[in-house]
Amino acid sequence: MARSMLVISRQAPWSGLAAREALDIALAGGAFELPLALLLLDDGVFQLSAGQRPESLEQKDLSANLKALPLFGIETIHVARDSLVQRGLDIDSLGHPIELIEESRLGDFIARFDHVVTL
Amino acid sequence: MHDGRAIALDQDGYLCRLDDWSEAVAQQLAEREGIQLTEAHWEILRLLRDFYAEFQLAPATRPLIRYVAQQLGPEKGNSLHLNRLFNGTPAKLAAKLAGLPKPSNCL
Amino acid sequence: MTTLHVVSHSPFADDRLQSCIRLLRPEDGLLLCGNAVEALRDGTKPRALLDEAAAASRSIYALDEDLAARALAGLPEWLRAVDYAGFVELSCQYQRVNGWT
Repeated sequence: MARSMLVISRQAPWSGLAAREALDIALAGGAFELPLALLLLDDGVFQLSAGQRPESLEQKDLSANLKALPLFGIETIHVARDSLVQRGLDIDSLGHPIELIEESRLGDFIARFDHVVTL
Repeated sequence: MHDGRAIALDQDGYLCRLDDWSEAVAQQLAEREGIQLTEAHWEILRLLRDFYAEFQLAPATRPLIRYVAQQLGPEKGNSLHLNRLFNGTPAKLAAKLAGLPKPSNCL
Repeated sequence: MTTLHVVSHSPFADDRLQSCIRLLRPEDGLLLCGNAVEALRDGTKPRALLDEAAAASRSIYALDEDLAARALAGLPEWLRAVDYAGFVELSCQYQRVNGWT
């Protein structure tokens, strides 16, 4: 049994490469069928906001890549509920299959995985 | 060269620009690989163009198989069928013929 | 799984430390190194957060040489300072290490 891995992505998609790199790790792991999950925390939840137009910053569309995750075997995106609410994002209009994690459950959720990477 | 127009390829033979693709270009790329395109090939290439338009990336093998199975059914979305069409490396070769960039995360 | 969280960014410029404290469990550890040791400055908000976490029996460590370099005074009783060898030991003591890069 392959060891499970959690990728914690906590940067916005428009600043720097961290969000891109976290997603690339998830896609790469998924392509090889590793048991892998993605958790959006803090500014990472901005990756879910609808109607992004990254081309105006000459960047590629991260949210299109996020939609491919189920085909890479990663069925849901885990999201810290408080991070979402604090940033004014509407849970019902995200356009991705997500699973909300309550603040008090974050530590235990993270502890379920053999490895954890934070970007 | 195609229609007197030079088409840029990267070092691995993938189109540098997605928009350079046409069915005629696909034919030429296929000839370079020694493949005679049939309708079975075309439906996969068209599917890959759709995949890229939707997800902005070229799929690795397993996601490609899953996507084909989802769209065309399991009798086409399996490694046997895709390997037979694309010389055993469907993710790489089909992406190349469909004018997509080289898939990352492919052995 | 127990986790050693390693934070190296200043809490005054960035929210890594605050975020990490939120998900720290009693069986986990937090190691401050680099600019993150500034969080120990007496009378600051990050220090108050750390005091609170320590009071809730969270284990908090800091890298000795980073403390020395900044001549931090008024270090709390609960803090466990470690040298590099201690860091390595901690990495083995916890089941995994999560670096807040």
